[in-house]
Amino acid sequence: MHQGPLMPHRRRPDSLWLTVGIAALALLLSLNSVPAHADDMPTIQLLMKDGRLFPETLEVPANTRFRLQIRNEGPGAAEFESLELRKETVLAPGVTRALVFHPMKPGTYKFFDDFHPETAQGRIVAK
Amino acid sequence: MGNAFFVVWRESLEAFLIAGILFAWLQANDSSGRGKRALVAGLAAGVGLALALGWALVGVQDELTGDALEAFQVGMLLVAAALIAQMVLWMRKHGRQIKARLHADLSQAAQRTGFLGVAVVAALAVAREGAETVIFLYGLSQEGRIADLFIGTISGFFGAALTAWVATRGLRRLSISLLLRVSSILLLVLASALLVTATDRMIGTGWIPALVDPLWDTSLLIDDGSEAGKLFANFSGYRARPALSVLLAWLAYWAVVLVGWRRTSHG
Repeated sequence: MHQGPLMPHRRRPDSLWLTVGIAALALLLSLNSVPAHADDMPTIQLLMKDGRLFPETLEVPANTRFRLQIRNEGPGAAEFESLELRKETVLAPGVTRALVFHPMKPGTYKFFDDFHPETAQGRIVAK
Repeated sequence: MGNAFFVVWRESLEAFLIAGILFAWLQANDSSGRGKRALVAGLAAGVGLALALGWALVGVQDELTGDALEAFQVGMLLVAAALIAQMVLWMRKHGRQIKARLHADLSQAAQRTGFLGVAVVAALAVAREGAETVIFLYGLSQEGRIADLFIGTISGFFGAALTAWVATRGLRRLSISLLLRVSSILLLVLASALLVTATDRMIGTGWIPALVDPLWDTSLLIDDGSEAGKLFANFSGYRARPALSVLLAWLAYWAVVLVGWRRTSHG
């Protein structure tokens, strides 16, 4: 292999690994910044069952961090999603997941089950 | 059945479209066929990764593991966005040299790393949405809807592949130089959309501040909550109610890309 004239062009692998390295670093940082869970946070329950939401309207305190505990009783999978609140989580049947919401301004925020959008439309009302 | 088809179609369309654009882009860049083999290998690896990630998500119950998986998904988005942008710009710079085969050794070494990028991007595209599809299908199997599972899966995948094929058909009719330009721009726009999604998710988990949220509201113009609007948002990075930090990330991305684009135009 003729190394000499090719050397200037050999920077490609470095820049690829640099990109991957930066992204991996960002990933590590984000893993480290997982917030600690305060126990004084109010917890609100949501039940997803057979393509429906119980209750369809969740009342939450405004300007307060809170935890939304979502249980999917199945029988199928469900995907809790809210574009306005930037939350998206998939739940297999029988799974319970908790999402922490950051303080939100008073108002109404829509959410839905992305696997059953015809029947499962809900809203979070922050007061 | 209708629901199973629609979910599988929607979740796999993005991966097929990325594969279609990458395929068209390789068509303009590489005549050896090795890039396309890398693409297929990447897609296959993505299916494996989707199964693993789906399996991990089915088991997750506690918050901490949930957060770690969220971080992993955000990481995948960021890696994919960075790799796509870097790959397109690099190919723009070196594509002509490779084509001219001035340095046979260079083109081989360069192709190897360039195609590694193609494979990784394809794998990430499949794994990301694929994991959700895996859980959805697992749910159907738990419900005992086996007929729906099979018919929905097969028709959904086939439908998505067909949609992507039709959508990228126009691309393949272009002349090589135009094809290269258009597919490069499409890939760069797609990378920006991945970055916007990653930024949104990081705001959602509270890892970065939203700054001003929302900055404006154009949901009357294009509502990203509707099915069609969501699809458009997924590919373009459009948001009806963007946060300031999302806009800043988007602007920073395009500033870097435009500088890179200019620099490579006479490189």
